[in-house]
Amino acid sequence: MKDLYQESQFSEQLRPLLEVMAGEGIRSAGRGLSQMIGQKITVTQPAVSLVRLSEIADLLGGPENEAVGVYLRAEGQMSGQIMLIFPYEKALHLVDLLLDEPEGTTQQLGSFERSALAEVGNLSGSFFLNSIASMLGLEARPTPPAVMVDMVGAILDVIIATTAVVSEYVLMISATFLQGEREAEASFWVIPDPRVLEGFMNKN
Amino acid sequence: MNNIVVGLGEIKISNNGDDVLVAYGLGSCLGIAMYDPQLHLAAMLHAVLPACDPNHTHDNSCNKYVCCGIDTMLQMMLEKGAARNRIVVRMAGGANMLTTSGFSDIMNIGQRNIDSARMKLKELNFKISGEEVGGSIGRTVRFYVGEGRMAIRMMGGKERDV
Repeated sequence: MKDLYQESQFSEQLRPLLEVMAGEGIRSAGRGLSQMIGQKITVTQPAVSLVRLSEIADLLGGPENEAVGVYLRAEGQMSGQIMLIFPYEKALHLVDLLLDEPEGTTQQLGSFERSALAEVGNLSGSFFLNSIASMLGLEARPTPPAVMVDMVGAILDVIIATTAVVSEYVLMISATFLQGEREAEASFWVIPDPRVLEGFMNKN
Repeated sequence: MNNIVVGLGEIKISNNGDDVLVAYGLGSCLGIAMYDPQLHLAAMLHAVLPACDPNHTHDNSCNKYVCCGIDTMLQMMLEKGAARNRIVVRMAGGANMLTTSGFSDIMNIGQRNIDSARMKLKELNFKISGEEVGGSIGRTVRFYVGEGRMAIRMMGGKERDV
């Protein structure tokens, strides 16, 4: 994983900016999720990283690992991709929490369960974008989320394919949401569109 | 069995009967394989994007494009003595992972990869002998060099031949 600090062009200007803004946005998303499930969610320190596309699947246990990805795009003055990813078992736990069922109830992710997970994506995405909007005055709307229950490689192809056109690396701001004794665990990734980053570079 | 991983934008080639060329978790990505049965020579490409800028410089970094990758793979096969009229082509992948209403067809990169492959292979006069493409579910693709066969596996499923 390539650290942004190694890119001198980016490090001084862009990294602190992204860490503060997106960091606050991600924490806001975590608070929204807490309200939604009625349980406290801890958010790990959000970090900005530049990751080689060929390595992003490794961040989630490898391309064949089974997971659930809730993907949405942000469109507007800020644009980019948001992906919420859960290891498959953790997604089942989260659905239990959402539906107020005892742990172990949910065994499969049918359309009802997937809708519940889509709502999680929708809500956390919206909280994130609203936070950015109030900090920067830049509006963005989330698209309806797509819920993918599949191998990590397949889930990440959408990010890989859209990024690969411009770069071998993807810049992401990420954090992990944890609930209780790691019962629910999700990675929250924000991937700004390159032109958005250029905009920041030029302003500063 | 030696697993030889074919990563994003890579092409791997082998004539070792113990080798298995494998591309894991293909969503919209497309795995295309060429096989010469007489030489027991196989190559597989893990393509990511449909088409490149026609004016670009052709080097290894553009194998992530279906069109360039197929050209490079064919060259690699021919350099090892494969004969065009013996080469068998199969492909798998190209799923549309985003099937919700919020995403337009522009984002159906999987289908565009499939279309690009069909066009390129037709241009090179290759027939596609087997394919398992499209849909909305990811696939792991394996090419068993010793047996000359391609197989796919989906999440929670059993492996089946292409």
